[in-house]
Amino acid sequence: MTAKGIKTGTMTPAELKAAGALEAALAKFEWFYVGAEFCENLLPAPERLRRTAEFFLGKDKKVCVLTPMLTERGVRSLAKFFRSLRRCGKDLELTVNDLGALELARECGFEGNISAGRLLYDDLFRLQRGSLQLVSAQALRFFTRQGVRRFEISSTGRQLNAKLGPGAPHLTLYYPYLNITSARTCLLGTPEIPPHVSAAGIRCRRECLAASFEVKHPLIKEPLLVSGNTVFMHFPKQFYSSEKTLKAMRVDRLVYCPKP
Amino acid sequence: MKIVSYFSDADEIAPLAAAGAGELYCAVAEVPSFGHGVLRGPLKTAVDKAHRLGLKVNLAANSMRRTYSGPQARALAGSLLKAAEAGVDGFIVASPTLFELFREMKSPPAVPLHLSSVQPCFNSRTARYFIRAGVSRIILPGQLAPAEAAGLLRECLAAGVETEIFDYRFFGCVYVNGRCNLHDPIFHTFTSGTEGASLCRCGAKTAGGLRVKPVAADPRRAAGAAALARRLYARMTCGGPPRLANAAAFFDFYTGGVQYLKYGVRRDPPELRLQKVRELRAILDLAESLAAKLPKAAAKTEFVGRLAGWRGREGGRK
Repeated sequence: MTAKGIKTGTMTPAELKAAGALEAALAKFEWFYVGAEFCENLLPAPERLRRTAEFFLGKDKKVCVLTPMLTERGVRSLAKFFRSLRRCGKDLELTVNDLGALELARECGFEGNISAGRLLYDDLFRLQRGSLQLVSAQALRFFTRQGVRRFEISSTGRQLNAKLGPGAPHLTLYYPYLNITSARTCLLGTPEIPPHVSAAGIRCRRECLAASFEVKHPLIKEPLLVSGNTVFMHFPKQFYSSEKTLKAMRVDRLVYCPKP
Repeated sequence: MKIVSYFSDADEIAPLAAAGAGELYCAVAEVPSFGHGVLRGPLKTAVDKAHRLGLKVNLAANSMRRTYSGPQARALAGSLLKAAEAGVDGFIVASPTLFELFREMKSPPAVPLHLSSVQPCFNSRTARYFIRAGVSRIILPGQLAPAEAAGLLRECLAAGVETEIFDYRFFGCVYVNGRCNLHDPIFHTFTSGTEGASLCRCGAKTAGGLRVKPVAADPRRAAGAAALARRLYARMTCGGPPRLANAAAFFDFYTGGVQYLKYGVRRDPPELRLQKVRELRAILDLAESLAAKLPKAAAKTEFVGRLAGWRGREGGRK
């Protein structure tokens, strides 16, 4: 049976409730994906992230904490979060999109399962419109030796012809948005940096939370979707016909993303 | 700080050395790498020639776009061993496949591993992870500010691991290398059928006709969404968002102890490559002389001021 999850991202239960989405989400989904997947500037404060995770765990839901690419600032924030997890560490899953987060989780004694996130999928897979291929048995061993057993990919809007070979890993498939590329100085939020200034970092005001943007780019036929620091494509149509087809792709968990 | 330059022909080695390159790198057809072009002629001939001039030669082995069956992985291991026998001084690596391949070899080549920016390292813990995996140099991604890199640089210094940055004038992309599928139309389709290299700098201006439309806007932030749409349009038609890599950042990396400066445009023809290495040498000479004679803050101000008006006429070794 394919597990069903929802990416609530940076939203707190109170925000979900205010948006009228909390009860429906609790009724429909078994897994809740919280945190920030692509941008460390959106990573909730450690205490807020812990409270959000504990809320869903308290509702007998399963929780995966999403973590983005990290600079030292993100490392410090995540370290605080890990240290605060003593009560619920084993029940949580963690998704890492930076191998430094994997290192940090080990240092902090994180006890839950760890998945390799969507920013790392090129490390392990050759994902194309209609196909999914393992890069090599070595690449898989590189991750499994570190205790990573689950890998996350995006829906390409089509059923994938998966060539994963023996010992293929478990896959989590996010839909309906596919991440194409990510930046640090994002197109939406980063304030201008004068040429004489050596920036201390990204002074983000989280302006990107105001909206996502459809972009018709003259060099690309399909519309793109810019959201935060990442460019996506949107595939709203049904991309699989049955549980069996998901099983053939080794997908045993689906994660619905209401927003990119 | 040494300049690391790409070369594609052994005949380029002596002129590049004379222009100020302190180290070289190349690519060969048998070892997949990230970028275009491979060395013409035997690797050993080139390596020997560089060594006679006192220059080390690294081999780019940083492809992220290849899949390997068991026999293909073994063939790659064989090619890496041959490159080691040819005398290369470092492998520039990115893919987990290579790290694991080296780990599983009974007799791995005794060649240092440099972590490519294609496997981006933004923090001290990622550095620690790859130092444990055997890297002796980390090539920093261009999207990292010197202040953000301080912990990472300390980690490397403590472990005796070298660091390298890209030159900011001739190279750089908005998007994170190794986490970008914009140039590779595996999910989308280019209108022109070509690669769309200007996508790196957002590139919409060249063809015109960019359209930006807010979707899923938060009704409480409607004004903000409209302003963001205008900013996005401006940035996608005028070269992208602000960059962390600039003259000030370069000077901070220089004084922060980064040892290598890479000129990383493999597509450039040899004459242009030579010209750019001369430019980089002149810029480094300027940084060195200012840092030697002025207090750090004053040297940085002077350096940034000089670079703001730099037109490439201020020197460089002949």
